[in-house]
Amino acid sequence: MQVVEFGVLVGLALLVGRAAQVQILHGRRWAEEAQAQRTERIVLQARRGTLSDRHGTPLAVTQETYHVGIAPNELRDPTADGALISRRLGLTARTWQQALRRRYAYFAGPYSALEVQPLRSVRGVHLEAVLNRFYPDPAVARATIGRLGDDGLGASGLERTLDSLLAGRAGAAVVLKDRAGREYESPARVIAPPVPGLDVVLTLDAELQEIAQRALDDALRRMDADGGDVVMLDPGTGEVLALASRQRDGSARPSAFTDTFEPGSLAKIFAAAALLSLRRVSSTDRVSGEGGKWRVLGRTITDDDPQPSLTLADAIRVSSNIAIAKFAARLTPEEQYVTLRDFGFGAFTGIEFPAEATGRLRPPSEWTRPSAASLAMGYELSVTPIQVAMAYGALANEGLLLQPTLIREVRSAGGPGVRYRHRPEPVRRVVSREVAAALRNLLRGVVERGTGTEAALTNFPVAAKTGTARRVVNGRYAAGEYTASFAALFPADQPQLVLVVKIDNPHKGSYFAAQTAAPVTRSMLEQALAARTVALDRARLSTAAPRAAATPADDDGGMVPYVVPWPYQPDSAGVGPRRAVPDVAGFGMREAVRTLHRRGFRVALRGWGVAEHTWPAAGDSAAAGSMVTLFADPYAAARVRSRGPAPARCGPRR
Amino acid sequence: MAKGRHWVALWLVAFLVTTWLVYARQTAAYRAARDLADLRARRANLDGHRADLERRIRVAESRAVLVPRAQARLGLHLPSDSEIVLVPAPSGSR
Repeated sequence: MQVVEFGVLVGLALLVGRAAQVQILHGRRWAEEAQAQRTERIVLQARRGTLSDRHGTPLAVTQETYHVGIAPNELRDPTADGALISRRLGLTARTWQQALRRRYAYFAGPYSALEVQPLRSVRGVHLEAVLNRFYPDPAVARATIGRLGDDGLGASGLERTLDSLLAGRAGAAVVLKDRAGREYESPARVIAPPVPGLDVVLTLDAELQEIAQRALDDALRRMDADGGDVVMLDPGTGEVLALASRQRDGSARPSAFTDTFEPGSLAKIFAAAALLSLRRVSSTDRVSGEGGKWRVLGRTITDDDPQPSLTLADAIRVSSNIAIAKFAARLTPEEQYVTLRDFGFGAFTGIEFPAEATGRLRPPSEWTRPSAASLAMGYELSVTPIQVAMAYGALANEGLLLQPTLIREVRSAGGPGVRYRHRPEPVRRVVSREVAAALRNLLRGVVERGTGTEAALTNFPVAAKTGTARRVVNGRYAAGEYTASFAALFPADQPQLVLVVKIDNPHKGSYFAAQTAAPVTRSMLEQALAARTVALDRARLSTAAPRAAATPADDDGGMVPYVVPWPYQPDSAGVGPRRAVPDVAGFGMREAVRTLHRRGFRVALRGWGVAEHTWPAAGDSAAAGSMVTLFADPYAAARVRSRGPAPARCGPRR
Repeated sequence: MAKGRHWVALWLVAFLVTTWLVYARQTAAYRAARDLADLRARRANLDGHRADLERRIRVAESRAVLVPRAQARLGLHLPSDSEIVLVPAPSGSR
């Protein structure tokens, strides 16, 4: 009996000892292991910020999409359910049969909420929500906007440049699991909420972009060209309004930033800039046209439109190689080099794009004897279309070269808080105001009586320059291959738009820019004028059209005039005193519009429901009489209430 | 003895009430979670629907669609600049 009692005692002692070992000595480890078995830490994806055009039209948005898992043994009616699932997921009968044979079939998709909606109630269908990037109009500025890589990070274009702003910060949560590792249908415990990325308003104008893309596509098809680029920008701010690039194979790599070309006669205006700035030429100075053929330094320079003698204005107007080479001989190599360098050639423009070419501008120490004449004619120099646009923009902007930009605003996610707003950023003064005005006059002569008449508009003066240059293929000038280019300022007085059109190697018809790129420019300008929302200040245009009054009203051949609604004005247009934009977030539409009207603004409506935010944002100033875009959303009231006061505005990034 | 039974009954009732409260609270939370998930799904569905409609509106509004239709059906054409009249702003108006 005593032995039994002793045995029980020892047994109990062992039990207590083991319990103490498990509970006290190893308690923490076992607790952690149990926790790990029962719970799982999951990553909460952050919503990537929206990219929109300057008017708020979304260009890249993030939406919830779904991966779909099917557990065949859980389906109530495999035949009926199978038909529904196959239809919604676009599966073939064979794929579905293969899925049925598996224990768990997984379809990555991603499928939209609309596609999977009828599957939500089907037993055996498991939906896994993932955030996905979505481009509402994939054709618009795709090369500029770029795309995401498989890792969800920006892989190219602005998606890459702005990745740190757009990406946001992922959150974390803990979910409960059962013994088999399946998640309980209970809410997750959020450890760190995800922080959504910032929204970025680009400088692009979706309508101008579409005009540019369509005009370029039409031109390439009509001329059977190898490719081309169109750049449009606002010379007063350096904001890029449209960028279109297309190659013969239909691809659209961002060649306006990355591909260089010899500008040919486009560069003559920069030689003229140096001559005028340094007072090496007067308006009456003439040089001989040499009958259209001039042999100098062992090479022959020719003109397509020989003139007996030419002034500098004539040299630009008829694009005379001989005359500009003779005038440029009055400059030292250093003066010529510094002028081209000052206009931004041979250097990055600084635009926010992941890839940009500098082009080539050799220092005078590397020049050969004919280099000065070649550079004056736009050879021995390679540039990108964006560099040309900015250099012509400097002429439009009273001689001040600006840094180009694609970013207009950076905003807090879904709200009105503006974190950054672009302000014009001067790089340097290239020429004086007077010289810039004189150069614009020279360019005006090109369109009125020179090589650019195909770009002339009836009612609006245009200043422009043509450029037709031989193409370099494998390091040599290829016979019969040309680049036709055209740079225009619209209107010629107080320009609002700089356009650069480049057509690579047109095969059909003429290869001269005057017959290829110039009509494309005219077509785009006409479409821009007729467009409703394009960022042109029509108030200034209406008073800057002296030729309109001279046009008899009954000379229209019976055509009914197209009347453009009066007028869209960008907030940069200073037509009245600047006033603070009131905060109307949360107001009803009628009340919001009245409030803005009382403050002296005109109102453009976007959406319906309750006022959410305005552009320009509340607290910013805008000229009285200018347009304020009011964005409304039926759910805005709830968001405004939950958000509380708007965060303070930060200053500019740079 | 009777007093002891009362105490046992009281403790039993207290235990049952507490258990019922925990059960009811858990059930309500579970139901709320389901409702929340349903609402999220509904919102995602509506967001998707809205995005789809916006995309279709943008396609329908695009020049690629509008211009050929306006030309074919209404006989309109893209105006040249001489057909565009910009009305000057009356002085002093907003």
